[in-house]
Amino acid sequence: MFVFKLFFFLSLLTFTNLFAYPNYSHAVKEKKMYPMGKKIFEMKCSGVDVSHYESYDALLVGIAKTKECSRLKASYQEALALYLWDVKREKKVANKYAKIQVSHDEKCPVCGMFLYKYPRWVSMIEYNDGKKLYFDGMKDLMKYYFEHKKGVKLMLTQGYYTQETIAAKDAYFVLGSDVYGPMGNELVAFKDKERAKNFLFDHHGKKILSFDAITPQTVYKLDE
Amino acid sequence: MSKINFYLLEYAYTYILRHKSKNFFIVTVFTLLVALLASLFFITTSVEHELTSRIENQPDIVVENYQAGKPSSINVLLLDKLLEIDGISSGKIRVQGSYYFRAKDKTFHIVGIDAFEQQNDPFIQKLLNIYDLNSSSMLVSKSVQDVMKKAYYTDYFNFIKPDGNLQRVYIKASFDTAKRVELKNLIVMQKETAKKIFGYAANQATDIALDVANKNELDFISSKIRLILPNVKVISKNDLRVKYEKLFNYDSGVFLSLFVIAIFTFFVIIYDKANGLSSEEKREIGILKALGWRVEDVLHAKFYEAALLSFFSFFLGLLLAFIYVFILKAPLLGDIFMHENLLNIHTFRLDVYVELSYVLLIFLLSVPIYIAATLIPSWRVATLDADEVMR
Repeated sequence: MFVFKLFFFLSLLTFTNLFAYPNYSHAVKEKKMYPMGKKIFEMKCSGVDVSHYESYDALLVGIAKTKECSRLKASYQEALALYLWDVKREKKVANKYAKIQVSHDEKCPVCGMFLYKYPRWVSMIEYNDGKKLYFDGMKDLMKYYFEHKKGVKLMLTQGYYTQETIAAKDAYFVLGSDVYGPMGNELVAFKDKERAKNFLFDHHGKKILSFDAITPQTVYKLDE
Repeated sequence: MSKINFYLLEYAYTYILRHKSKNFFIVTVFTLLVALLASLFFITTSVEHELTSRIENQPDIVVENYQAGKPSSINVLLLDKLLEIDGISSGKIRVQGSYYFRAKDKTFHIVGIDAFEQQNDPFIQKLLNIYDLNSSSMLVSKSVQDVMKKAYYTDYFNFIKPDGNLQRVYIKASFDTAKRVELKNLIVMQKETAKKIFGYAANQATDIALDVANKNELDFISSKIRLILPNVKVISKNDLRVKYEKLFNYDSGVFLSLFVIAIFTFFVIIYDKANGLSSEEKREIGILKALGWRVEDVLHAKFYEAALLSFFSFFLGLLLAFIYVFILKAPLLGDIFMHENLLNIHTFRLDVYVELSYVLLIFLLSVPIYIAATLIPSWRVATLDADEVMR
């Protein structure tokens, strides 16, 4: 009986410990908690060093004990702890690329259109020799890429929903949706598959492809 | 034609002075016409510019709750649900509204803030960078402070809550709204304090403001929210822009009718002038021809005369309109745009904002037409023989 009780309490302990980390969805954390935590960190609690703490709980207790943060509301402390734990320590938000900037006279090398008019679609290839080429969408980028594959250092595009710059090789692309780019049908880029799926449902897309699955045939078929 | 002939210019100038009363009449009508048209365009462009700049400070989407067809408070838990929608980059709960101060018959606009959230309005962000608010302090605009002072509230103000109790909030500082006239009655305080004053429960708020990263998605996301929450009213920035534009176009219609009348009057005057010269003017041209002037010279002198008159009147009219609209702030005409009850647009500051295309339009509608109306009848007379004219 005693063994059973011990087992019960031990399991309860691990169970509660597991769920001490708050149970917010990824979207809520990313869109609400982290920005708020970052602001609190910068404005009030820049003295808290996350590397000193072993667990999330210890961090939360530590924040409550810190002089400048102790008077904050519990929800603020939680936002700060989440930001420090996830973003600062585990770097869950991957290092972001800078926004792709194009000048007013930059043109797409494939179709010759001016790029500054369509900033939401601009994508880029950087070659090892430092040459950077900008395109008005992933479709034109792919057309160029299939002809000039050698020495590619980096390929960047923009996530449709978030407008953040993402690496094209890790992105997912939706084909055949009702969203058109400056050159008509486009490969609409997303950072993760989840978002791509949602987009597929929302905008009547046909299929989702990863970067490696894109072939010249699929790209040229978009123009038909 | 390449060089200005100063003898002819002087002749034209003296001609204008010789026919003082007639030309004075023309200059007056011309100036008033240009001034009227220019002030219409100055007002519309300036107001339109101001409206678009006001929309800039609004969140992309505002979600309001409706109950029994009337606006009501919204549940704060909905925010997390809405944030799950892809494409929404951030969101926040808003606590804001009007507070009627009965003693002085004034309405304050209370905006609840959370210092650790991103503010849509840069003006409020700037205030929060300077002042650190706590749950019993607030920031008030200068005009609100004046009203409170008149009621002998200098350090604090007692808000009357819906349940009849008082909520004392201390005035931390006052700010000058400067150019932002729409913020004239602003009070900034913490959301928690504002909630108490409005009588909201802990899970209630005024509305939810959302920001969308990709503006192309604005309409789609709005319709998606309408599907998820059938009771709410979703106002996107695009809707707001359309609403402003609709109302604005209606006002512009009133202006347009004024514009048509003014132009019509002008053309009647022009027609009258083009229809023929007085016998005196005819004789003058005849004498000039008898003296040996060529048709060319006569037309040249007439051109100078018309150009002098019309340019002078045009610029005088522009100047008058500029003073009327931007310095005197359009006392009568401007009232057309004051829709206090419709859009919460209380006052316009009428900043100097001139679209050159409209100035060009007025120029092309007046100056070349007037010059042509002077030249054509003179040319008709000048081509005749001198004796025929003077006979």
